Parts: sequence; C-alpha cells; structure tokens
Amino acid sequence: MADTHKEWLEQLEAQSKAKQESFMTGIAKKLGRSRVTEPPAHPFRGAPDFWRTFQWPLEERIERFTEHFQAAGGNVERLNNLADVKSFVVKLAGEMDARYIVRQQESELDCLGLEEALPEAHLSVWNSDPSENWKVRAAEADIGIVMADYAAAYTGSITVLSAAHKGRSVSLLPTVLIAVIPLERLKTRLGEILIQFDDRGREELPAGIHFISGPSRSADIENDLTIGVHGPGIVYALLVG
Amino acid sequence: MSAGKAAGRPGTVKERADLALNDDFLRKAVRFTTERLRGGKQKAAAEHGNWDEWRERGRQIRLHTIAHLDYYLNLFADNARANGVHVHFAETDAEAVKLSLAIAERKRAKTVVKSKSMVTEELHLNAALDSIGVEAIETDLGEYIIQLAGEAPSHIIIPAIHKNRYQIAELLSEDAGEELLPDTTILAGYVRKKLREKFLEADIGMTGCNFAIAETGSMVLFENEGNARMVTTVPKTQITLMGMERIIPSWEDLEVMATLLPRSATGQKLTVYMSGITGPKREADQDGPEEMHIIIVDNGRSLQLGDPEFQELLNCIRCGACLNACPVYRHIGGHAYGGTYSGPIGAVLTPALQKNVAEWDDIANASSLCGACYEACPVKIPLHDMLVYLRRRKVESGHGNRMESAGMKGFAAVAGKATWFKGAIKLGQLGQKLVVRNGGIRIKAGPLKGWNSYRVTPSLPKKSFRERWKTLSGEVQAEAAPMSAETRSRMEQLVREREKGGGGHGGHA
Ligand code: SF4
Repeated sequence: MADTHKEWLEQLEAQSKAKQESFMTGIAKKLGRSRVTEPPAHPFRGAPDFWRTFQWPLEERIERFTEHFQAAGGNVERLNNLADVKSFVVKLAGEMDARYIVRQQESELDCLGLEEALPEAHLSVWNSDPSENWKVRAAEADIGIVMADYAAAYTGSITVLSAAHKGRSVSLLPTVLIAVIPLERLKTRLGEILIQFDDRGREELPAGIHFISGPSRSADIENDLTIGVHGPGIVYALLVG
Repeated sequence: MSAGKAAGRPGTVKERADLALNDDFLRKAVRFTTERLRGGKQKAAAEHGNWDEWRERGRQIRLHTIAHLDYYLNLFADNARANGVHVHFAETDAEAVKLSLAIAERKRAKTVVKSKSMVTEELHLNAALDSIGVEAIETDLGEYIIQLAGEAPSHIIIPAIHKNRYQIAELLSEDAGEELLPDTTILAGYVRKKLREKFLEADIGMTGCNFAIAETGSMVLFENEGNARMVTTVPKTQITLMGMERIIPSWEDLEVMATLLPRSATGQKLTVYMSGITGPKREADQDGPEEMHIIIVDNGRSLQLGDPEFQELLNCIRCGACLNACPVYRHIGGHAYGGTYSGPIGAVLTPALQKNVAEWDDIANASSLCGACYEACPVKIPLHDMLVYLRRRKVESGHGNRMESAGMKGFAAVAGKATWFKGAIKLGQLGQKLVVRNGGIRIKAGPLKGWNSYRVTPSLPKKSFRERWKTLSGEVQAEAAPMSAETRSRMEQLVREREKGGGGHGGHA
C-alpha cells in the first residue's frame, strides 16, 4: 500500500502541476495581461506606518497584557523567578487535585523539578520517549505546561511554536493551560512577532505557530459563553522576571 | 507513531486515553476561572484607533493581491509544495469533491472531523462523504448540536441559537445514554469528552482556510473554540479546502487581517486562537498531520477577475460584519438566502459565483438601497453598488419585470455618481422618519419610487442596532416564519455581546 500510495500521490502531483499552469494562465488572461512572474512592488505591505513604530514601555506592556488577557477570561500572575513559578504550579496542581500533567521538554521547565515536587501526579515530558502516543497523553491531561515563545500586549496573546520537544497538543488538549512568559519575550504589537516569521523564511518555520488569547470558548448554548469545549477552559499566563 | 507501536497495546487509541474523568475535571476546575466571562461583565474591546486607516490598508492589501493573483497564488502553491503539502487545483465544485473523496478513499477513512468551513458547505462535501460511507463530524459546538438534532443551522454565527439549554440537554442525554442536567458546564464537559474521542479516532481532519501566506506557503485559521486546532493537530491526514482568493503576500500583511477580521466578526481584539500551519508535521514531531492536502478551489471565483464591477468581491475576508449590519438579514435570517453565503455578501456572491443574475432574488432586492454593509465592511467592498449593478444586469438580461425596470432607471441615474448616491441615502434616512410605517418605507416619491410601489423596502439603518431592532421588531411578526421571542432575545443578546467584544466564532474559514 505504501508504495502504491506514494505513486498515487506522485500522479496527483503531476496533474496538479499541469493544472497550476492553466490556472495561472487563466487568471492572467481574465486580468487582461500576461503572467506576472516577477515579484510585484507591494507598497502597502504590512501595518500602516503610524503603527509600525508604536511601543509601550515594559511596565505598560505588563499592565496591558494583564488587562487584555483577563478581559478574555484568562488568569495572569506576575512572578519574580522560576522558583516562584515552581511554587505556583505545585500549589495550583495540589488545589486542583490534578492527576495527569504534561509539559514541554524545555530547559526552563526541566529545572523546575516538578516531577519530585508532585509525586502524586503522573507528570510526563513531551516526546521524552518517542514510542509513546503523545497525543493521547496530552488528551487525558488535566494540566499542560508550556514556555511561551512570545507574547503581545496589545491583543493579550501568547505565541507558541511547535518543535519535536514542543508539542502543539500541550497547549491545546489539557483542561488547564499554564504558559510561562519570560518578560523579555513580551512585545507590544502582534506585528513585532509576525515579522519575525517573514525574516526567518519558509524553510525555518515550524509546522505549527499558534497565538492563544484566552480560554477556549464557544457561544452556542443559549448564547452563554461556554468555556473549554475543545481547548483549555482555564488558562494561566505567568509573567516572569 | 507507527502502526507497530499501536499494535503493541490493546484496544483503540480512544480506549488507551484515560478520558473517563476529563469532563469531571473541567467541571471542578471551572471554579478557578474568573466570573468575568459571564454576566456581561467582560471588558469591552478597547477602542481601536485609526480604524479607517486600517480598513484602507486592508483594502489595499487585498486589491494588490487580487490584482496579482496569478503571481501570489503560484508562489503559494510552490511554497506549500516545498513544505511537503500536496497541493491540488479544482476548477469546479465537482472537481473539488472528487479530489476530497479520492483522498478519503485512499486513506480508507471511516470518519472525518471538520471545523466550520464555508467552502466545504459550498461544495456540499458532507453529503458527498456520506455517499461513500464516510461519516463527517462537524465539531464546532453549535454545529455538533445541530448535527445531532438532524437539523440545519439557524444562524450563521450561532447555529444552535434556536435551541435552549433544556433541548440541548435532552439531545445530548439521548446521545450519552444517561441524563445530563441542563447546566452549561455539564453539557460542555460531555461534549468535550465525546468529541475528543472522535478527534482521536478520526482518520482525516478537514478545514477551511482564512488566509494563505504566499511567501511561506502557510495557511492561517482564526477560531475561538480550538476545534480547528484539534482538526489540524490530531488526525494523521489533513485536508484543507481554500478559495483561490484567500491569499495574502506575507506574515506582515497578516497583522492587518488579524486586526480587521476578529474586530469585525466578533468585536474581539483577536480570536482565542490564530494558527499558522506550515506543512505537515516535521519528521521528529509527535503531533500534527503526517499527510497534508490543500485543495485550491475556483468554483466561479475567477469569473469576477477582470470584471470592473465585481472583482472586489474577491477581497472579502468572510467576517460577517455586513450580515450584522444589514437590517434585511437580521430581519429574515440566514436561511432565506438559500445559498451557503447569506446577507449582503451572499446576495451578491451567490449569483456572481454562478454568473447567473436570475439567482438574484427578492431578498437581494430588498437589500439594495442601504449602505450599511459598505460602512461595516473592513475591506470596504462596495456591496451596495454591486447590488445595483447586479440588478441592472438582471434587467438587461430580461429577468426583471417592467415595474422593476422603471425603478432601475431612476435609481441608476442617482447611483451613477457616488456623491449623489450618498446624498440619496441621507435623504432616505431623513425622509424615512416621516414615512416609516411598520418598519418599512412606503413612499411614492424620490429615488425609491419605482421599487416601493409594490415592494416594502426595509428601513434604512439609523444609529445603533438596538434602535434599529425596535423598528424592525414590528415587522418580524409580520413575516411568514418569524423567529421565536426566545431566539430573538438571544440574538439581541448576541449583538450586545458583540458590541462589547463578546464571543461567538471567529469569522469563517
Ligand atoms: S463583504 Fe461582508 S463578510 Fe466580506 S469582508 Fe466585507 S463585511 Fe466582511
């Protein structure tokens, strides 16, 4: 099957490439000109000029991020260092009586020593054993713990990038999400984060880039905002530094 | 996760996940969340300054991309392919369906989990999947409830708005085989557990696409629930259907779209999730699809290219703001439009996609005099002008009757010049104060003349929705299929929430 499937995909690709040509030629023809094959000048790229230089000082970024993230139903804690992160997580997991916890495999989280501090809980570390079914481990988890790669104060958003040791599921499948945000990663605007993906270029992008701006919400039962139907219903952003 | 490993342990994936108490935990943990979400205490979305500059920028980016669509779409396809995506092109709905079904068959799929996608609705893909014995599961909460009930959605944003919590509890209890109390948290907890079993079992995840970034071959999804993330994270195969016009050049341009779309769709600063997906999972990744397909769909879209009156239709970012602004839509609801796309955008897009002006029915007629849709549109699509053009084409092609033609001539003369047209609207707004009866206009003079001799035009919008609602609510009762008082009060609440930056879905992929 593997081989025939591969062949089938190759067949589709050949068809697709032929079709691509006729598609593009058709578009150009309808637009009444020949094909554009060189990058056209794009004078309106990105945000308006007044916005591109807009910056809040750190304290205001913290304040605004907190305000916006809370307004969306999230929780924000301001902590001094990783030791405080550890005590916060241990206390919360205890209060919630969490049985399953999954965390990313990242050095900052490794040094929290949560495994020893929470002997009652099954704590697993994403992709620490490649033969494990990690999606399933995340699906049953009560708490997921991640490091944020970036955060944006203006929209109250956390950004997480996927990698072999950073599962997309960890910020998605558990009931409670805890995201640790070192203060130097907290930006003012979304654009400060997005432009980095242009700069990195296609080949350097991870498969998943996710912006998270609060708990998962639905509004379908009597218009009541229902949280946590799919993603985490409770989200903590821990601002550290 | 190879098959070998799975075979090492008994049972299905679902049985191996300890989900038994997952819903319980949600219920318990909810006390750790703030009460801010409920009771309308949620803080309003802060005033976003320079809105018109953002709109203008959004419009320019869309205009530029569509004007160079052959370049950007080609670039996107090449880059997506380089990322390992299987890219396909479908000129017609039939071709897109054929491709989707072929993939499902190849994958021997039993179930497909879906997140809301207008394109798949346009293609009637669920029915097609059903015809080859593949179960398509809609995973937006409201869509799921409606699917359980075997009904059609009643509202584009809140599809289950006509169901109260008791009816929903009954439906879900039947599904669960045990009684579930009509408590939002309990019901949400049940659906959470149930649907994640479905996600874990499903062979294919199917999505739409809000934006496709040409320079990196990435696709972007906006949503609030997280099910689009589930659909693109858990199943081994992902199929994304995207309209050929969904392209933007860069991530930088995405900032503008991310500023316009959620604010226009739900009043949020940003939807809860915005996801940029660049290719299938990397070799060492433990989640994300192993195989990813993107089907680029034309299905009538390219007919707008080079048409000076309708090309801007392709700029639409499907935010739904024109629906909410439209008194006619609010009055008659989405079903009456009879197509996938409803409201002002649907009134223009449906016949435009089919190049069939006869499709432009009485509902569209009713919409054509009011500029509220244009005012609301974050990319400034002149829908009201397009309605006039469509009407003219309909008349020209012999589909109008004599009365309408007479009305058209007078109106076209006014509408021909934008400033005159604005003036006419202003006049209409003022004039209607004097002539509104039962929320409709019945005057025999001025630019509305020809149309109103036999048809009631809805009142033109005044300041707030609430005010407009009052004007219209009298008319609602006169309609053939009025919505229930209960449903209406929920819709009104929805609009209030939206004004404050409340929930709902985050636009439609
Ligand atoms: S036409 Fe309507 S749905 Fe499309 S972008 Fe404008 S307001 Fe939004």
